[in-house]
Amino acid sequence: MIRNYLLRHAQVFFFSLGQLTRTPVATFLTIAVIGITLALPASLYVGIVNVQRLANGWEDNGQISLFLKQDVTAAATEKLADKIRRMPGVAWVNYISRDAALAEFKKLSGFGDALNALERNPLPAVLVVHPSAKHADPDKLQALLRELNRNREVDIAQLDLDWVRRLHAMLDLAQQAVLILATGLAVAVLLIIGNTIRLAVLNRREEIEITKLIGGTNAFIRRPFLYSGTLQGLLGAVFAWLLVGFGMLLLSDPIHRLAGLYGSRFELENLGFLATLALIGTGGLLGWLGSRLAVGRHLRVIEPH
Amino acid sequence: MIQFTHVFKRYPGGFDALRNINLQVQRGEMAFITGHSGAGKSTLLKLITAIERPSRGEAVVNGRNLLRMPRRRIPYFRREIGVVFQDHKLLFDRTVYDNVALPLVVTGADQNEIPRRVRAALEKVGLLSKEKMYPVTLSGGEQQRVGIARAVVNKPPLLLADEPTGNLDAALSDEILDLFLDFHNHGVTVLIATHDWRLINRARKRVLELNHAELVRDSGVAA
Repeated sequence: MIRNYLLRHAQVFFFSLGQLTRTPVATFLTIAVIGITLALPASLYVGIVNVQRLANGWEDNGQISLFLKQDVTAAATEKLADKIRRMPGVAWVNYISRDAALAEFKKLSGFGDALNALERNPLPAVLVVHPSAKHADPDKLQALLRELNRNREVDIAQLDLDWVRRLHAMLDLAQQAVLILATGLAVAVLLIIGNTIRLAVLNRREEIEITKLIGGTNAFIRRPFLYSGTLQGLLGAVFAWLLVGFGMLLLSDPIHRLAGLYGSRFELENLGFLATLALIGTGGLLGWLGSRLAVGRHLRVIEPH
Repeated sequence: MIQFTHVFKRYPGGFDALRNINLQVQRGEMAFITGHSGAGKSTLLKLITAIERPSRGEAVVNGRNLLRMPRRRIPYFRREIGVVFQDHKLLFDRTVYDNVALPLVVTGADQNEIPRRVRAALEKVGLLSKEKMYPVTLSGGEQQRVGIARAVVNKPPLLLADEPTGNLDAALSDEILDLFLDFHNHGVTVLIATHDWRLINRARKRVLELNHAELVRDSGVAA
C-alpha cells in the first residue's frame, strides 16, 4: 500500500520533470527569473554578514586614543601613562611615541621617503587606553573619556567606539531593509511561479476536465502541478546560489587586494551551510505555495461542463 | 440504480432544463433516453454523473443522494460510473494504452494490475493491436471504442453513453451497440442517450422519451 503510494509519487515526480525538460527554454527562463530574484536578497545577506564579521574584529577594542599636545616631553608622557595605568577601569596603556607613530605612518601610507622631506615630525604622541572588560559599557567609557580629557597634556581624547556602534546600528538597519526586500521578492517569486503554473493549468484544461470526469480527486490533479512548481522553485534557488557564488568569485580578488592594503587577511565568506539550506528550502517552499495557490484557484473554475 | 422523484433542474435565468422527472432504473437494466435536441437528455446525464446538481426533488444514483452528497465525495462517486462521450474526450498526447489506463491510474490501482486490465478492456473492444498508437491515427469508430474501453476498464456497475454513435455510420453504430449489449448481458446497468431511432429499434430495450424538459414516455422494462 505504502509502496504503491511512494511509487505513484515517484511517477508524478518524473512526469513533472519530463514536462519541464520538454519545454527547456520556457523552463530555463522561469528558473532564471526566480534565481535572479532570490539572488538579490541572498547576496545582500552575504554582504551584511561579511561586513559584520569585519566589524566584530574591531568591536572589543572600545579603546580611547589620547592625542597629546606637541610640546609634551617624552618623560612627561611616561609619567602620564603611569598615572593612567593606575586609574580604575584601565586594563593597559599603549604608548606610541612620536617617532614610532611616524615610522608606522611611513610604512602604511606608502609615502615612505617623501616624509623625510618634512622638517619635523608633525605627528603627536599617542596613548592608547584599553579599558578593562568591566568598564566596556558605553556610559562608563564616556565617564573615563571625560576624566582622561581633564589631563592638561591631552590635546584630543577620542573614544573609538562611536563609529563602531554607528556601524552596528547601520548594519541592523541594513538587515531590516534586506528582510523587507526579501519579503517583497518572495511575493514576486510566488507570483512568477503562480503565473507559470496558471498557464500550465490552462494548457492542460482538457486533461483536467477528463480526469475530473473519471473520478480524479483534486489532490490527484493538483499533484503534478505542485511537483512542477516546487521543482522550479528549488532549481531557481540553486541558480540563485550559483549566481551568488559567481559574484563572490568575481569579487574575491579585488577584496583580497583591498584587504592587503589595510594589512588585513580578510577573505569573503560565502553563504554558510545553513544559509544555503535556507535559501534552497525557501525556493522550494515558495514554488510549492505559488503552485498551490494557482492550482487551487483554477481547479474550482475548471469544472466538467 | 437510478431513482429520480420530482426532479427539477432550473438554470440561472429561469430556464427549465428538466421538469418534474420521475423515473427508476433497476440494477442491471438497459435503457435509452431519447428526445429532440434540447429536450434535456444531456442535462439528465449531467445530473446522474454529478456534474450538476438538481434544483429540486429526490435523486439517488448508486445509493448516493445527489443533492446532499458533499463535494469531496464526488470523485469517488464518479469512479463507479463509466461515461462514454460523443466527442470521445480522449487525450491526444498519450497512447491508446495510456488513455485507457487513466481511470486506473486516477484511482490508484495496483501497478501490477494495470497492464492486465487495460489489455482486457482493449481486447473487449477489439483494439489490442493498437495500444501503442496515438488517438489521432485512429478512425472515428476506433476512437469511440477507445472511449468505451476507458469507460469500462474500472468495471463500473453503471455505464452511461451520450450519443455514442453520433458521428458513426450504421455498421459502426451496430458494432458499438453490440458492445453495450454485451456489457448489459454481463450485469452492467447501461443508459444511452441518443436520438438514433434505428439503434433503439434494433436494441429493443426500454425507452425513456424526453420532450421539452419533461418525461413524456416510458416504455417500461424490456419493451
